[in-house]
Amino acid sequence: MKDIIRSQSVLKEEIIERINKQIKIEATSSSAYLAMAGWCDVRGYDNCAKFFFKQSDEERGHQLKFFHYLADMEAEAASPTIDEVEHEFSSLKAVFEKALENEISVTESIHDLVRMARKAGDIATEEFLRWFVQEQIEEEFVARKCVELFDVFGDEKLAIGMIEERILSISYDGGE
Amino acid sequence: MSENIAASNTITSPEVLFQTSNASISQCDAQGKYILTFAEDQIVFRACELISFRRKIQKIDLTQLFASDTPDVEIISMPHCDRLFVFTIQEILELRDLFAGTFAMLELNSLIHKEIIRKGVLIKSN
Repeated sequence: MKDIIRSQSVLKEEIIERINKQIKIEATSSSAYLAMAGWCDVRGYDNCAKFFFKQSDEERGHQLKFFHYLADMEAEAASPTIDEVEHEFSSLKAVFEKALENEISVTESIHDLVRMARKAGDIATEEFLRWFVQEQIEEEFVARKCVELFDVFGDEKLAIGMIEERILSISYDGGE
Repeated sequence: MSENIAASNTITSPEVLFQTSNASISQCDAQGKYILTFAEDQIVFRACELISFRRKIQKIDLTQLFASDTPDVEIISMPHCDRLFVFTIQEILELRDLFAGTFAMLELNSLIHKEIIRKGVLIKSN
């Protein structure tokens, strides 16, 4: 008797379900950043808006990366419904604090997924997730640096101008 | 419309993986598909469709079905064969048994292929 199930389905069911959950997390994250971009845009924080539009695109990219992985592995990838995200913020600083909180949640979720793949002996998925682990180091670094700008300059009008000038130049050099 | 095993000439001697009193699941090597026979009805599944169907059966909240004021049946759709299934609690329990047995057999078959057949091929080629 042929091993049809192995030929047609590579991943374990619990891994498929968990990756589909991650797809939803990335999609929600993209939506949350889009809401932040909109909030910044209408208040004239143009560079901060650009920053969040870019973040939103990146999260969408992550979502697609997971989606394609499932499809490539002959598993059913689910296009998620997205829950309501926060649209109102008390200040620009609060927006960046929320962004950092979001990145920490995504990091924890990726790490949980790595642990799950490791426990299941799913070497392919563990290897696939390596890129996301590295990516989250960068994402968290950038989000943390953004919040630190408020600690350095404060959150008065002039300080926000200086933050606007610097926000797009924050980058992670990979620890070099 | 569902694919009917009796109407198909291309499916040859499917092997029964597991059976309960009213249902069975067989594997057809020639087509690379699975055949669910339930209450004299036969439906053909690809592997991912079978997994998806099992997931739907597993996710049914039986407690809610028992507690509900509505009839104790669950409606499950399977778009791949354009059908709706209406299952009673007893049928759901039987399907769960059927899937547990079937997937245990499939896992065992995969293990045999991994540890004996594929490794055997590798050893011979070395």
